[in-house]
Parts: sequence; C-alpha cells; structure tokens
Amino acid sequence: MGIYELSLATIVGINIILALGLNLITGYCGQISLGHAAFFGTGAYVVALMAKAGYPAPINLVCAMLITGGIGIVVGVASLRVRHDFLAITTMGVGFLFLGFVRQQDSVLGGEMGLSGIPSIGLEKPAFLMLVLAVAALCTLFSVYIKKSWMGFAFDAVATDEDTARLLTVNVPVYKLTAFALGTAMAGLAGGLYCYFTRFIMPDDFGFITSISVLSMVAVGGIGSVPGVIIGTMLLTLLPEMSEFLSDYKLFFYGALLFGVMRFAPDGLAGVGSSLRGMLKRSGRAV
Amino acid sequence: MIKKTTLIFLTLCLVVSFASLCPAADTIKFGFNAPLTGFAAADGKSSSEGAKLAVKQINAAGGVLGKQVELVIYDDQAKPANAIPIANKLIGKDKVVVGISGSYSGPTRSSAGVFQEAGIPYISAYAIHPDITRAGNMVYRTGLLGTVQGRAGAKLVGDMMGKKNVVIITLQNDFGKSLAAGFKSVAADYGIQVIAEYQYSMKDRQFGSLVAKVKADKPDAIYASGYYFTCGPLVSQLRAGGVDAPVIGQEGYDGQKFIEIAGPAAEGVLITTTLDRDSKEKEAREFMQAFEKQAGYPADMVSASAHTAVKVAAAAIERAGSTDPEKIRQAIAKTSYKASSGLIRFNKLGEVMKPVQVQIVRDGRWHYYAVIDDPELLTPPEE
Amino acid sequence: MLFLELLIQGLIYGCMYAIIAVGLTLVYGLLRILHVAHAGLFTLGAYLGVIVTNATGSLGLAIPVSAMCVGLVGMAIYRLCYQPILSKPPYVALIASIGLFIAMEEIFRLIFGPYGLTYTQVPLQSPLSLLGMSLRMVDIFIVFGSVAMLGLLSWLAQKTRIGIAWRATVDDPQMAGSFGISVQNVRYLNFFIGSALAAVAGIFISLLSNLAEPTMGGVPSYKALAIIVLGGLGNVTGTLIAAVILGVVEAYGTIYVGNLLDRDAIAFAFLILVLMLKPQGLFSRK
Repeated sequence: MGIYELSLATIVGINIILALGLNLITGYCGQISLGHAAFFGTGAYVVALMAKAGYPAPINLVCAMLITGGIGIVVGVASLRVRHDFLAITTMGVGFLFLGFVRQQDSVLGGEMGLSGIPSIGLEKPAFLMLVLAVAALCTLFSVYIKKSWMGFAFDAVATDEDTARLLTVNVPVYKLTAFALGTAMAGLAGGLYCYFTRFIMPDDFGFITSISVLSMVAVGGIGSVPGVIIGTMLLTLLPEMSEFLSDYKLFFYGALLFGVMRFAPDGLAGVGSSLRGMLKRSGRAV
Repeated sequence: MIKKTTLIFLTLCLVVSFASLCPAADTIKFGFNAPLTGFAAADGKSSSEGAKLAVKQINAAGGVLGKQVELVIYDDQAKPANAIPIANKLIGKDKVVVGISGSYSGPTRSSAGVFQEAGIPYISAYAIHPDITRAGNMVYRTGLLGTVQGRAGAKLVGDMMGKKNVVIITLQNDFGKSLAAGFKSVAADYGIQVIAEYQYSMKDRQFGSLVAKVKADKPDAIYASGYYFTCGPLVSQLRAGGVDAPVIGQEGYDGQKFIEIAGPAAEGVLITTTLDRDSKEKEAREFMQAFEKQAGYPADMVSASAHTAVKVAAAAIERAGSTDPEKIRQAIAKTSYKASSGLIRFNKLGEVMKPVQVQIVRDGRWHYYAVIDDPELLTPPEE
Repeated sequence: MLFLELLIQGLIYGCMYAIIAVGLTLVYGLLRILHVAHAGLFTLGAYLGVIVTNATGSLGLAIPVSAMCVGLVGMAIYRLCYQPILSKPPYVALIASIGLFIAMEEIFRLIFGPYGLTYTQVPLQSPLSLLGMSLRMVDIFIVFGSVAMLGLLSWLAQKTRIGIAWRATVDDPQMAGSFGISVQNVRYLNFFIGSALAAVAGIFISLLSNLAEPTMGGVPSYKALAIIVLGGLGNVTGTLIAAVILGVVEAYGTIYVGNLLDRDAIAFAFLILVLMLKPQGLFSRK
C-alpha cells in the first residue's frame, strides 16, 4: 500500500468513528445534531494540548473521550428542554459557540493560528492505520451491540415516539443523555486520532461544514444502520478522490448526490440494500 | 466466424503491445495544491493560473534539464484534511520532484509536514503561517511572512506617513492576526498609538456598527486587514459613513476586484504587498502582460506569488543539474532569483528576504507609491 | 450618539434578516421543512439583480424581475424537490435542502466565476445626513422597502381572499381542504412569496457591499434558521421581531463583546440563552 492509499484509508477510518458516533445520537435516539464537529474538535484540542505537554498517547485519547463525553452530557441536558427542529438548531448553535470560543483563545488554544508541532504518536503510518481501523472496528461492534441490547430498544422507542416511550416508563432523559455521551465520546476519540494524523489543527477544521459532512455520511448511509453508515462514509470520503476527473465539478456533484439520495432514496444506502434484497428474494421465489 | 473473432483479438493484442512499447512522455512533475472549489476558490483560481503561466513559459524556453515540466494540480478545498492525502498522492503516485502550495495556511502546514517527512522540497507561495517553514529544512516560502508585512505597515503609517493615532481593524484568521501582531510589535518605535482595535469575521460584509464606532474614535489612520471581498465593502462603507482617515491595507487587497467593489472609495488606499504594477523590472512586466492575456483579468499578488514559486523551483532544479531531492533542496537554499514578485533569497529557516512594495490606488488602478527596504525591520526569524 | 448609530445599524441589519427569515418561516409554518436552499434563492436574487441592473441601468426594473424569476424558481423547487418527500422524516428534507444549496452555490461559481459580480454603477449610494449620522440612500431604502413589503404581506394575509385561504391552510390543512381551498395552490403561493422576498433581500445585500458572490448565502443559510427558531417556529410576527432584536444584539455585541466571541457565536449564544429560558422561542406558535 503506497503512502497515498495509507493516508486515504486512515481518513476513512477516522470518519467512520466520527459517523458512528453521530449515528448513535441521531440514528438510534432520533436527536438531530448539527454540531457534531464541535465534539470532534474538542477531542482534537484535548489531545493536542496534552500531547504537547508530554503525556503519552493512550492517556490523551482516553481523556479526549471522557472530556468530550462530559461536554456531550451538558449539551444533552439542553436537548432535554427542546425538541426536534429546535434541537437541530440548538446543536448548530453549540457548534458555532465552540468555534467562536476557540478562535479567540490566542494564549492556550492557539486561536486562529491553531496548534502545531504536535508530537507523533510514535507509530509508523501502516501501524497507525491499523490502530485507527481497530478502533473503528471496536466502535462498529459496540454500535451493533447497543442496537441489539435493551438500550437499543429504549433508543428506538425514544426515536420513534418520545411521549409514548415516557408512558412506557422508559426513562427518556437518561437514555437521551446516554446517547449523547456515547456518541460525543466517539467523536472525541475520532478527534484525538485526527490530531495525531495531521499534527496541526486549526479551528476551521471543525466548523459547520464539517458537521454537515458527517451528517451527510450518516444520512446517505441510512440513519440507524451500522453497515449503511460505514459504506456511506467510505463513499463520501473517497468521492473527491474518485471524481478527480470531475475536478471543477466535484463539489457540485457532492451537493447533487446528497440531494439525489435524499430525494430518491431517503432511507439511504441501507434502504437501497434492503429493497434489493427484497427484490432478489421475490424473484427467487418466482423461479 | 471463429476466424473473424481471432483476427480482432490478435489485432487488439498488437495494438496493446505497441502502446506499451511507446515510451511514456518524459516529463518532470511539479506538484501543486490549491483551493479550486470551496470558499477560497477565487485565490485558488488565481494561484493556479499563475502557476500554469510559469510552467508554460518554462516549457517554451526549453523546460528543465532538457525535459518538459508537467504541473500536477489537485484541489484541496483549503482544508487540511484534504491536503494530506493530496500530498501523499503527489509524492507516492505522481512522483513529483518538488511540491508547491498555492493554498491557505491550514492545508499548507499539513502538506509541509508530509513533504518534509518524505524528503521532497516544498515551497509555500503565499500562505503566511510561521510554522510552515518550521516543518523542516525541505520547506521554503516565497511569500512574505504576516508579521514581517505588519512591521512594514507600521513603518509606513508611523514613519513615512507620520500618522500617530491609529485604529486597527483585524480579520479574524491567521492572516489578519499575524499582520496585527507584526504591526503592534514595532508600532511604538514609530510613534504610533493604537487607540482602538476591532475584529471581524471572514463572513462579514456589512460593517455598519464598526463604521459607527470608528467614526467616533476619530483616528489619523486605519490599519485594516482582510481580503478583497471584506475590505472592498469595508472601505466603501467607511467612506460612505464619513470616515476620511487614510486606510492602509496589505496584500489581501491586492487585485483589481478590490477596486471594482470599493469604486471611488478605493482612491488613495495604500497597501504593503509584493507586486509592483509600475515595476520597471522585465520579469514583473512580462508576467503581468502574459497573465492578463492568459487569465483575462489583471494579475494579483496570489498569482504573482505562485508564478514566482514555480519559477524558483525550476531555476533551482536547473542549477542542481539533477532531480535528486537533496541536491534540489541545496540549490533552492542558495537561490538568488529575480522573479515577478521581487528578488528571492532565503534565510536559514527558508523564509524569503525581500523588500516590501507599497502600492496606492490612483485613477482606479494600483500604482507604485514607495518601497520599504530596511533589512533590520524586514528580517524574518531564523528558526 | 454612538448608541443611536449602533441602534440604527442594528435596525438596518434587522430589516434584512427579517425579509430573509420571513420566507423561511412561511415555509416552515406550512410544511415543517427547514428550507436551507432558501439561501440559494437569496443568492440567485442578488445575481439577477446585479445582472439586470447592469444590463438595463435600472434598479427599479431589476427588483421586480428578479423577485418574479426567483419566485418561480422557488415554486419549482417545491414541486420537484420537496413535494415528493413530504411524508418522510424531517432530516430527509433538511439534507436534501443542504445538498441543493451546495449545488446552487457551485452553479453560481461555475457560471459566473469565483470572484462574484459587481455593479457597473452602484445605485443609491448618495450620502444622506440624518440626525447627525452619515448614511447612504440605500440604508433608508432598505428600511422603508422592508417595512413596505411586510406591510403589503400583512394586508394580503388579512384583507384578501387569498390571504384568508392561506392562513386557514396554515392553521389546519385538512379543514381548509374540506372548504374547497386548494392546498397545493396555497403551497405554491407560499414558496413564491417567500422566495421573492429572499430575492429582494439578496439585492439589498448586494447594494450594501457592491458584491454578489457564490458563497453569499452561507451566513443567511444558518442565521435565518436561528432567527425563525428564536421567533417561534412558524410564527411570522415572532420572526420579524426576533430578526430585529438579533440585528440589534449583533450590532452592539460585535463592538463590545467582539474580542471574546465572533458575530455568529454572539447570535447563537443569544439564541441558546433564550431557548433555555423559553424552549418554544420568544413567541411560540399561537
């Protein structure tokens, strides 16, 4: 694998972790988050500061998860007060607040200049890719486990109909907060890995556009479907590379794709997958 | 029937084998990353046009080391996350002998790390972040450092123009902030007192409240940083709001579009930059004429910087006499090259040491006003 | 003096925000869709305004032409993009709208170039002195123009048959339908008016900064969302008041708190604060 393929695969891996985290919040629990990049950024900044202070990587990554998850709970508390579209805008606001705050902290967080000179994680490129893929695999297994467990059932209930879930004595607030905590912790972990990948972070990396990109990966894949989200993430991350021949029209194509999938296949790739399976089954029976 | 198929098949085999016998075009590849799409597309277009012009001119003069130069351009959308795979692609797949950044600081800094690790020289055309050259000895910068330009601005305002009470309006990004930092670091030396400092974001186009506040401050001069799409509206609204104090800007204003937007309000605006429209130097004049012909609009700082970077790289390879990265690097370090944006020489860190041009808007076009040349003031850091 | 100037500036911002946000809240009130592509129509309006003004020399012609064209495009967007997915969960329309918006921005860049368009002769730039402040004609034009349009809208909604049918459909589509009101036509009208207003807002902005650029819809795309939420989703009067309040908050905020947070952060901090105290917005749906 050349260095080019290695770096691409690493980015895909990091994006998968990020998208699975959002899938937990949006897909499993029906809480629309338009500010996921803020948590991605928080994890990155935590790791950057700690790594520069000399702490070892495993501790930094764990701290990134814990701190980000903690902030996720705080934001989750906000989600208890507002619903649906109000929540979407509130999370968007959180994203902008994070950005606005970090931009102005010249002293500690580097402000507009960002943080550079982040020490290497100590792994060669192939080994780092292995680490990222291992983490992505763990997150995948975790997501699938959650879905099948009782927590998944509760998440589903909250996503489908919050009020009825409440009547069924599902402790809605606790599950909402848990979804936020887990999903944002994953984002923080992705952020920490991203930090070790680029070794230079700036506030612009974690803006509204990034939040939208991650949401698109989840939506195109099929909200709630783990395999769908993984494939959707791979597709949208690799799209710019695959469409190099489109060059000038790349971004247009990306927008058109987002629109097209939502317009014609709103259940995303997962939906397409299950219809195909359905069609095959039916044709099998006919024969 | 069988005979016909076999015939077709054999023909195909012949064609394919002939094709593989033909040697691939022998070119020397230069890598180039620029934001061709996304919010920075305007600068991406200018920088890539400047680079393309340079390659065209180099190839017309015989190429480098007897071979034609091929410019491999990739779009990084001004995002660091995109820049890293692109850098890896240029090095690993396209096997470029040198990389040039026509992009902003974020992606350039990330790419610089990759090129440094791979041991391939990398030149930043106009990205101003100080940490770019700190990535290592493979990285050079042909554009002015933000802090250096800021210092030149302070000399212009305090010393050459004699203005003392200054309001600073800063664009909230690395470009604006490093300019303001440079300005403030030597402001006192020139008798300048900063009476107020304001910030605005890259997305702002309406400055009503800012104008009202600045008017109340009654400054002698305004030092404002930004790009044509922010400072064009800003200057126009300042004048409309009754603020007559002279406005001093920097290379972000450098382009015809600023004048188009600000209209009559642009008259008298001064900037520190690297492209002298009235230059008597052959390189600059030729570049400006050829650029306007190729791109269809007048040259600006970004295109001149990209043009310079490519020319410097080509000249260095020619002097090195080989495509060995270390030899190229040594040749770059010893550069003393007259380019469209000035005489290029590098210090130990890879920063350029060149004079700062001051341009002024007169009759709707940029013209020469002065040149700032103090070596002490303009010396970039060594590490 | 400064206090007054900042207030006036805040009102001017507020008027522009109001015109953009009204279109968005009209769509939401009727269809529960967060119509992000509204910002793309805003940009289209600005481009058409500049092009027609430069071609004919008349702003007075450009405004209605642009509004009309963009209104029609808005209707087309409803028919082709939103109508087929009305029954899907809300995020589908949101992301489709975002995709559409990105594609529109790119179309502007691909056709007109990344630098944007400027007026050959910017209209309404003559200075005007009011209460000791230096303004331009365009500032007064925006305030009076906005008030006039919103007044017209209000008259339409209260005093005409179309307006009554419209309000009935927003309140209860099924009931309205059973009275013989064409719900479909009401929707078309909604999009037409909302998009036409967005076009006019775009022209206003292009007059203030003499620039129509591909990414000019970026800030309105999310800022307008914040405003309609602040005003109470679907509540037109609430949106108008919220728009003006936000304009004023930003005008003061950027000067006095600008070193701590940037303009967007100020706007959203204000929004989050309000939502924590009043989760349905300042004025919830009546």
